Amino acid sequence: MASNIKYPEDKVLYFIRGDHLGLITTYSSSGESRTDRKAYQAFDHAVSDGMLIHYYGNPKKVDALTDFPDVDNLYHSSIVDYVKKCLYMDKAGSTPDAGMMQGYMSLMMQHERKFDMAIKKYGTKKRSKTGGTRAVVPASFT
Amino acid sequence: MSHPIHRLSVKQIISRVRQVFPNAPEAYIMSLINDAINEIGQYSQKAVTAKVNIVANQMFYSIGDGSTDSSTEEMGINKVYRVDVMDNDGDYIQIPRVLDGEPLMFDITSEPAIKEPE
Repeated sequence: MASNIKYPEDKVLYFIRGDHLGLITTYSSSGESRTDRKAYQAFDHAVSDGMLIHYYGNPKKVDALTDFPDVDNLYHSSIVDYVKKCLYMDKAGSTPDAGMMQGYMSLMMQHERKFDMAIKKYGTKKRSKTGGTRAVVPASFT
Repeated sequence: MSHPIHRLSVKQIISRVRQVFPNAPEAYIMSLINDAINEIGQYSQKAVTAKVNIVANQMFYSIGDGSTDSSTEEMGINKVYRVDVMDNDGDYIQIPRVLDGEPLMFDITSEPAIKEPE
């Protein structure tokens, strides 16, 4: 079922409040006149699939050995670094030998650095799918 | 023309980890892999689009962990960057965003998950 609203871009607004999205409109199906204070209210009619939300989402978790991580394949080897980093940290925390602990910590930091470089420092460069020349289109004032 | 790319399955990741940690439990490694995926998810932007039913007289829609779309699929929203609303022709039209404080009227009755002091 389509909406009753012909021009949502003029009549509908949204805002984000924590973990909730607020959807408000000046449109009234009954044509009631509202004061300015109460101009924006919730939709007064239901619309199936009425809202399309575009967002950056969480990757899916893995459950089985045959799963592939739901992130770009460029990051897959970094996951190995992350896991090794955690395991070296566990080792360092459980060994009674101070010398060995230093060794584990040093290896842990190497893997942490590799992971951080790949994801945080160069992550944007790797994931960008855009290319080519860019053009600035001047606004038409006519 | 086929264009195979190199990917690592969970099994291959575990196998690489076990070169150094042969006794690391599989379930623990898998849990760490999921931690890594969540961490990467903060930086790697996975663009997703979901349809949500508009409910009559409901101002607020949940976008938290576990919130679902109109086909009851979990959405897993990190950051909303655009919202469209269906017009009377069934086409989706982008709508503007305002700040939380701008609308004067607050519809507390339609907020199912609102936190009230207990």
